Amino acid sequence: MDRREILPERPVEKGRGFMPGVSVNPSRVLFTAGLTGRNPDGSLVAGGMAPQARRTFERLQAILSQAGAKFDGVVKQLTYVTDIEAYNATGRAERAKFLGGTRSASTGLVVRRLADPAMLIEVELVVDLPGSPSRSSLLEKYNVENHPGDFHQGVIVNGGRLLYLAGQVANNPDGSVAGVGDWRRQAEKIYENIGHLLRAAGATAASAVKETTWVLSIDSWRQHSVPVRRGFYQGNFPASTLVEIPGLARPEFLAEIEVIAAVA
Amino acid sequence: MSFSTIATPEAKPVANYKMATRLEGGRLLYISGQVAWDASGSIVGKGDVRAQARQTFDNLRGVLRAAGGDLPNLMKITTYITKIEDFPDVAQARSEVFQGELPASTLIVVKSLFHLDFLIEVEGVAAV
Repeated sequence: MDRREILPERPVEKGRGFMPGVSVNPSRVLFTAGLTGRNPDGSLVAGGMAPQARRTFERLQAILSQAGAKFDGVVKQLTYVTDIEAYNATGRAERAKFLGGTRSASTGLVVRRLADPAMLIEVELVVDLPGSPSRSSLLEKYNVENHPGDFHQGVIVNGGRLLYLAGQVANNPDGSVAGVGDWRRQAEKIYENIGHLLRAAGATAASAVKETTWVLSIDSWRQHSVPVRRGFYQGNFPASTLVEIPGLARPEFLAEIEVIAAVA
Repeated sequence: MSFSTIATPEAKPVANYKMATRLEGGRLLYISGQVAWDASGSIVGKGDVRAQARQTFDNLRGVLRAAGGDLPNLMKITTYITKIEDFPDVAQARSEVFQGELPASTLIVVKSLFHLDFLIEVEGVAAV
């Protein structure tokens, strides 16, 4: 572990709960899925933001623990909320109980909807892990809970080279949009593009570590596009996050997918 | 540079950005979502997305420099805006900052950012 906190000479960021930047020597890195306030049976905890935030961080703690990590190894956190007032009122304080004095790089977004319409918060982490990568396989994908979802809760990258894809949209090589108004066709085109890029980088669908799927409608995505995603990953799912937002770069785009992968 | 650019004719970008980058060595830097505040914590350009975009990219560059790098070290950026109508102004400000090609890039319209006055937030991953 070799974590450095990056703080420019800007007094505004001193004493806040996050760091402007955090750098690591990426020998072993854990990417978590976006976690939420679900109970072990899949239902959402009752009581709103505070219990949801607490449950979210308890679950993240279990995922970190499985990888031999604690919250002090967190490099980056991304917090999605649907209600910023509730987050400021109670969610933030719950987060602080788990993060303690650790200050990671951080982004916070207010989105339109998460996997369940009653979900108020979802958090995903990138974590610097102790230990040497030499003994392990490149990727370790794991779950700490039984869940029916098409994703892994944690993916460890042992050495190797991280690959960052731009957000992929249903774009043809000539710049036109494939499948205007057609969720299934757009998903097919997006995964086709992801596949081309992974191959060009010496990777495959199995190399995917983390996926963020931004959609204009979670309901439409589930109804029409999920089978395409299943066909692409063939069961070998990355850690993932699904978020509903009000817009993308062009009005024709229904979905945009970002993938982080790793190759030896 | 300690990362390489991945390109393929089958999947081309819709604008002037890289489709994928691969870390080849060096340190991995995660940069927090940057917003348009100045060194004292005051918002720059309230209601003016172009001024906010300039300040945001300036702040992003500040973090890169503090880590011993600069804009060319960026592998990936994600730009979050609150109104799609702001995108042309943001794109304009962005191409003033990035003289050549952008890093791998994602553009998302969110419901809002954590402070309601902010119209743009940009986070990044860099190789330094």
